[in-house]
Amino acid sequence: MNETVLQIRDLNAFYGQEQVLTGVSLSLKKGEVLCVAGESGSGKSTLLGVICGDHQPVSGAERTDRSSLLRIESGEVIFQGEELIGKRPSQMRKLMGTRIGLIPQNPAGSFNPVRRLDAQFKETLKSHGIGFDRGEIMRVFTSIGLSDPEKLLESRPYELSGGTNQRIAIAFAMLLAPTLLLCDEVTSALDVTTAITVIDELLKLKKEREMSMLFVTHHLGIAREIADRIAIMHCGRIVEEGPAGELLTHPSQEYTRKLLNDVPRMTER
Amino acid sequence: MNPVRRKKSVLRAEHLSKRFTDGKRYTDALSDVSLSLGEGEFLGVVGESGSGKSTLLRAISGLVSIDAGEILCGTERMTGRGPREMGHKLQMIFQDAKSSFDPRFSMERSIRESGRGEWDPAQVRSLIDLAGLDPGLLSRKPTALSGGQCQRMAIVRALYSGAGILLCDEITSALDVSSQAQIVAILRKLKAQRGLSVLFVSHDIALVRVVCDRVLVMKEGHVVEEGLIADVVDDPQDPYTRELIASARRQSL
Amino acid sequence: MRRRLKTRILITGAAAGIILLAVIFAGVIAPNDPYTTNALAIRKAPCADYPFGTDNLGRCVLSRVLYGGRTTIAATFFLVFLSFLAGTFIGMICGTCGGWADRLLMRIADILLSFPQMVVAIAVAGILNGGMKGAMIALGITMWVSFARLARSHTMSIRQEAYISSAILAGKSRLNIICTHIFPNLLAPLFTNALTQVGTTMIGLSGLSFLGLGVIPPTAEWGSMISEARAYIQIAPWAVLAPAAVTILTIVVFNYLGDLVMEYRETQG
Repeated sequence: MNETVLQIRDLNAFYGQEQVLTGVSLSLKKGEVLCVAGESGSGKSTLLGVICGDHQPVSGAERTDRSSLLRIESGEVIFQGEELIGKRPSQMRKLMGTRIGLIPQNPAGSFNPVRRLDAQFKETLKSHGIGFDRGEIMRVFTSIGLSDPEKLLESRPYELSGGTNQRIAIAFAMLLAPTLLLCDEVTSALDVTTAITVIDELLKLKKEREMSMLFVTHHLGIAREIADRIAIMHCGRIVEEGPAGELLTHPSQEYTRKLLNDVPRMTER
Repeated sequence: MNPVRRKKSVLRAEHLSKRFTDGKRYTDALSDVSLSLGEGEFLGVVGESGSGKSTLLRAISGLVSIDAGEILCGTERMTGRGPREMGHKLQMIFQDAKSSFDPRFSMERSIRESGRGEWDPAQVRSLIDLAGLDPGLLSRKPTALSGGQCQRMAIVRALYSGAGILLCDEITSALDVSSQAQIVAILRKLKAQRGLSVLFVSHDIALVRVVCDRVLVMKEGHVVEEGLIADVVDDPQDPYTRELIASARRQSL
Repeated sequence: MRRRLKTRILITGAAAGIILLAVIFAGVIAPNDPYTTNALAIRKAPCADYPFGTDNLGRCVLSRVLYGGRTTIAATFFLVFLSFLAGTFIGMICGTCGGWADRLLMRIADILLSFPQMVVAIAVAGILNGGMKGAMIALGITMWVSFARLARSHTMSIRQEAYISSAILAGKSRLNIICTHIFPNLLAPLFTNALTQVGTTMIGLSGLSFLGLGVIPPTAEWGSMISEARAYIQIAPWAVLAPAAVTILTIVVFNYLGDLVMEYRETQG
């Protein structure tokens, strides 16, 4: 548990003139889940983009009309001793998938919408040097609550709902079993019951494979379920960070309290 | 006995059924669904995606035709009247706030077009204030607004049209919790100040608990449980409702 | 990246503008009358009086290219505009009404598309005995299809948008919705399609003229000029090269412009 998988130090990044990440520092140990929580526009998705080497936000539709790309001014992102900033796209592609996995907010965009899923699974697994085992894929599908896996493998992403595509992206991540899994708002498009199933599966991955996760969400209730530690992000800065239980029960920042208040509760306090 | 039930009903749906057919396959999106919405009441409809809750709203608004059943507003029979006429009684707010507005129109124009009478800027201004929005946003197009701002504008537009009933279809599920909290606050204010009646569809029972008086739990086109929200949350009868509540409890704080 | 795209659109658009202006003001720019024959200057190589040389009858090639462009470009724009109108109208009817009208019109479209466009055009132009009118009908018979399909699919997707439901609930009539919401939102993709069609139509018209199924000599037209002059290409290559080069240039410019505009619209998100 004490090997550091990801270390981000004093990251500063801009879109054009606007600073979107200010002095962000985070570290993630092996088998640990770190939640980055904040409102939309807080920079949490941008942070994931930096790690993926996109130098472009993973999601955040509001950004696309700004013509400028993300510019990293200073800071370092070290993954298992390797500096990620400035890596060539070809090197990043080699890392992504096998060692770093990403489950995007809208996974439909990362699949070929008209190609059968089994063909896509075969291809992706092969390119990462993993054999295609239909039975194993179907077991994974069933474990995350996808019914009728046989039929699902024969269908194409465009025929499926957003929630189903989301879970298929999770299945990909489970099969590839990367060291570090980046999750961008993976539960926000899902039903409450499905979200819990997905969380449980991710927790199982963490436990069984000692996977580290960086889990971006706006929902602190979800964060409490999955996180070991939580970092609260606001306007491109980390305003508070700490062990999940402590942060949620004794927030030190006003902003954290506001976020906590915004979550609808099942019981009156 | 309960205070909500005694209120005059503004909207009733009785034994609604709707079947979607696609070649030989069919799905019963609604099977014998009945509900009654009291004046000034917030009625929640919860269920997972595919449970028929969105179809229910579209069927009531007339956007989707029904196979069987009756729809009444007060004592007036509205079955088969079509959405253009239903629009006098009720307005709908959709999940995708941005696509609720024509991308080419400014907010002001969209709101103006939804009104049925003379353009009344003062009325819009007071609604904008109520929704806590900056009046400057009126001249903007939907792409220049955040999702939360767009959704609040959609509420303004629905109220401006003068309808007394709002049908809300997952209106916060595409928003982050902070924007969601703002929407909830507006709905509460509307309830207190204007006695608006709302049919509130959501998959999130925690949210429904905060917003609504009564709740209807739907599964596969059927209503499996109905009751006062506090009763249903504290003592769910149906196994599916229990599962739903257990999941929601784990996600809430 | 978008800024670079914008510059490229501006440059290509300027090129297209220059071509259009040159053709529109052919009367001012052309050094000679395109139809005056000069028995003393038959097949003359390019010189000061005849910058692109002369053809078999001693006519100024440059002037003929400029005037010929009028015929080609005017016919092209007229044809694209008509197909645009007809196709959009048919597509919107199919997209909004559905039912048997939609099925019938789309089957007709399928049948027309199942033959290569040029083969249909040659057959129809042949039956109509050539002439510019015949050539335009021949091309127009299949050209509306791409507009109709595009308009239909966009109409159907716009119909699903929440703002259409909102307009219905606001009591707006079907016609009103088509005019204020559907048609204006169709224009951008259809306009892009029109731009890409300009090049294809030009090839079609010039092709038919080249085969003798288009304009009737002595009217200047690029395709027929190439056709006439190819008989003596070894003696006076300029009489072929000039109209051919101009045809290629124009088609490339308009196709490229269409592609750029399409790319620009796609990156708009």
